[in-house]
Parts: sequence; C-alpha cells; structure tokens
Amino acid sequence: MATGLATKRLMKELAEIKTKGTPPGIVLLNAVALDQWVFLISVLGDETIYAGETFALRLKFPNRYPIDSPEVTFLADAEYIPPLHPHVYSNGHICASILGAEWSPVLNAVAVCITMQSMLASNKKKERPEGNDRYVRSAPSNPKLTRWQYDDDTV
Amino acid sequence: MDLNHPMLLASDDPPPFPPNQTQLRRLDRALYCQICKEPFQGPVSIACGHSFCSQCIRSSLESLKKCPVCNETAGEGSIRRNRALEEIVDSWEDARAVMINLSQPQASSSRKRPPPQPTTSSASNDKVKRLRRDEAGSSRSQSPAKRSSGADEDEAIDISSSGGVEDEDEPVLTENDEGECPICSARLAIAAIPLHIERGCPPPKKQVNGSGSGNQKADWKKVFGGVSTAKNKDKEPMKRITKPNYHLATPAELKAILSAHSLPITGDKPALEARVQEWILLYNSNLDTSHPKSLPALRARLNEIEASRKRDKEKGKDALGEQLTTKEGVAKYVKERGGEFERLRKEVLARDSQALARAKGQAGKPIEIE
Repeated sequence: MATGLATKRLMKELAEIKTKGTPPGIVLLNAVALDQWVFLISVLGDETIYAGETFALRLKFPNRYPIDSPEVTFLADAEYIPPLHPHVYSNGHICASILGAEWSPVLNAVAVCITMQSMLASNKKKERPEGNDRYVRSAPSNPKLTRWQYDDDTV
Repeated sequence: MDLNHPMLLASDDPPPFPPNQTQLRRLDRALYCQICKEPFQGPVSIACGHSFCSQCIRSSLESLKKCPVCNETAGEGSIRRNRALEEIVDSWEDARAVMINLSQPQASSSRKRPPPQPTTSSASNDKVKRLRRDEAGSSRSQSPAKRSSGADEDEAIDISSSGGVEDEDEPVLTENDEGECPICSARLAIAAIPLHIERGCPPPKKQVNGSGSGNQKADWKKVFGGVSTAKNKDKEPMKRITKPNYHLATPAELKAILSAHSLPITGDKPALEARVQEWILLYNSNLDTSHPKSLPALRARLNEIEASRKRDKEKGKDALGEQLTTKEGVAKYVKERGGEFERLRKEVLARDSQALARAKGQAGKPIEIE
C-alpha cells in the first residue's frame, strides 16, 4: 500500500465514488487492492462507433500518487479487449498526454476515466496506431516507461 | 479490497453540508487543497495565484515545474505563504459546526441570527478536529471518540461564540500523551496508535515516535554512536534549508546536512538523497504554517515515510516470490507471461527455419534477398 498522502487520497476517492457514484458509462468494477482499480467504460449515445462495447480500464496508483501519475492501461485478456483506437495499442497501452507529461495532481481516477471515455467518443474510425505490432513486441510492461510522443490532438 | 470496508466509511472528514446548501458547499469546497483534497494545511500561493498546501505544491513542483491547476510555469522560488488563507481556513474550521447546525432545515428560520447555543456535541467535534490538525500528521486518522472532556467542550463553545482563533493553540492532549489501543489495549502514545494498528498491533516498544527532543537526540546517539555533533536546533529560529545540487553533492555533504538535523546517515547515496529530499520537503513546508509541528514529530514522520517505502518495496518482491512458490501461482504466472514465451519461441523457430532455408539455398541455387 502506498504511503500517507496517497492512501488518504485514494480512500477519499473511493468514498466519494461510493457516495456520489460515477458518471454515466463508467462503473467501478473492483478495487482488488487500494492501489489497483478496474473501471468498466462504455461510450453512450448513438453517434459512437463503440456502441454496445465495454472496455476495462485498469489504474495502478504509485506510491507518490497524486504527485506521480497512475499507470493506466486497457485490460487485454480473455474477457476484455482494448478498444480499436488510433491511440490505443493492442496490449492496452494508451498514448494520451494526461497520463504522461500533462498529468496534474489535481486530476483523479474518475477524471482519467472521463478523459478515456471522451477520447473514445470523439473517434471516427476503428484502427490500431501506426506501428502497433512493432511497439507491442518491445513494449515495457509499464506504459509509463515508454517515451510517448503526443502528435495528434484530434481524437 | 472490499468496497464496503469499514475504513472507507470511517473517514475523519467533517460532515458535508446538505445538498440544498449549494453556496455553503461551494465555500467549503473552496477551502480544500486541490492536490490532497483536504483543508489547506500551511497554505501557500504560487506565481499564477493558485493556492495549495505547502507540502503538496512543494512535492508537486519537484516532479513538474508547473501549476497543477492552470499549467503555468512555476518554480519553488515563487511560493509565498498565504497567511490570510490560513486564517480563513482556521476560522472556517471553527465555524463549520455552527454553520452546519444553522443550515439544518429546522433551524433555517433563525439563520440570520447567531445561535443561542451551539450543541455541545458538534462543537466538541469541531474542537477535536482542530486538536487533531495541530498534532503530528500521523495522528490525523484517529477516532475522535477517544477523548472529550468537559473542559474541552467549554473551550470549544467559547471559541465558536467569540469567533477568536488566536489563543487556542494549546491542545489539551498532545501526541506524547498515552492512550489505549482499541484493539489490543496496549498503552502507547496517541500519535502512534494508527500506525500501531496498521502494523497489526505489535507489542509496544520504546519508540522514537513522539518522544521529547532531548530523548530523541539521545536515542539517535545511542543508535549511531557519537555521530551527531550538532547543537540542539530546536531552540534556534528556523530557517529554510537550501536544496543541495543532488547531482554534484557528495555523500559526505549529504551526510553533513542530515547530521546537522540529527537524522540518521546510514545507507548509500540514493538513500541519503531520498532522505535529504524528504526532510527538506517536510522541514520547509513546516515553516509555512502557524501550527508547526515539533522537530521530533517531523523526524518521526520522516522515519515513518522511510519505513513504509521500505515495506512497499519488500512487499512487491515478496508477492512475486510467493507467487512462484505455489503451483497455482506458477500456473498463473505462466498464463500471464505464456503469450510472450510463445511469441519468442515462434520468432526463434521462424528465424531458424529461415536460416536453414538460406543455407539450403546457398547450397543449391542463389536466393533472393528481400
């Protein structure tokens, strides 16, 4: 478990989710440990290309959360597959600036989920990122160790 | 972790305002630090005008030199103590119970007038909260039920009716007082109880936590015989510590800083660096508040942080090690990493067969090179 500040903040966030609930389309599936949560994310509305699909987003919180960003991946296992999206690799790694360089300690777990949801909602074509296979072959298990380049801000 | 875990409910947050009191909720929310989501502790402002707890923004700026809210470039040099905000937070915490009382529906008719007498229970809760905030950080999660005395309540009423905040900085109970652990009934310093429970109620031993400054120093001396030569800094006026350049600093220099503050100087350079960094953070942010903690309390806190870091590290190692000792664990590990293994195997096979084909081709006819 994480130290003082992180533990307190995570407990606060969990308590808030418990009392106030999560935004539509986002469900806290489980929190196996205080520092590892899984959310189910689906995109609502008619215009989405992901209608009827549900994805599992796993957040791992480091010791120094919220100063350090959480480790966020889409689950890629027998039950869930990561969404087909130009910023999501087939191993579940996500190229999104707020998970790396633009993380800010004022963000929280639910804010991350909302960002991911809107990233999916604004997408128009289902495809994997360029060089997906190459990346997945050599990717570290922790996406925070990848040096990301954020070049496309349309979706 | 169970989502219905009692620890999630037993948060020591003050009760929220009813949902229909949007203005009061907004006011209340405005006095929370955006980083730790707690009421400001030692609030400071930075160049862009946003305010945070001193400790929060200092550790945030260490990893990213930007304002967490507006992304404007910010440096530690721009941190200024925000005394007005601190006063507001303090007085709001005092007034909170009263305001909650006033905002209850049945009391709404008398909202304009001050209450004839705030109920003692809420007032004393408020007081207890204040007490807790005045103590070492480690004591922040303990149960308010453990202490309430008549004198305490009287004092609380006094404060809430007069609205003064100047003369109440003498907590009746300090972190050094002894209390009983609610689980194993061992007696130990109140500040140490939460940690004691977290560690699964080990039998209490003489600890560095919360002992007086003299003892503290003597204790360290005992452990690191004759290392510390520094004067007792507690009496001197506190000055901010300047950060060393960690890239250039030699272990000896780091040790000098540590021993000047009566801190342990064990470990290699990364460990020393981490300790100096953590200490400077604790120490400097402690200067931004009018309820500073004592140096022994800060040292105890540093100790705690280091111990918990160490536990985390070992836990991670153990988890993997333990997993591999059981059959199911190995099966799980294989299942998780099996794909990777399979892929590597295929790659090697493909390479080998290619090499083989090439060898054959060279023997027979020339091959095309793609």
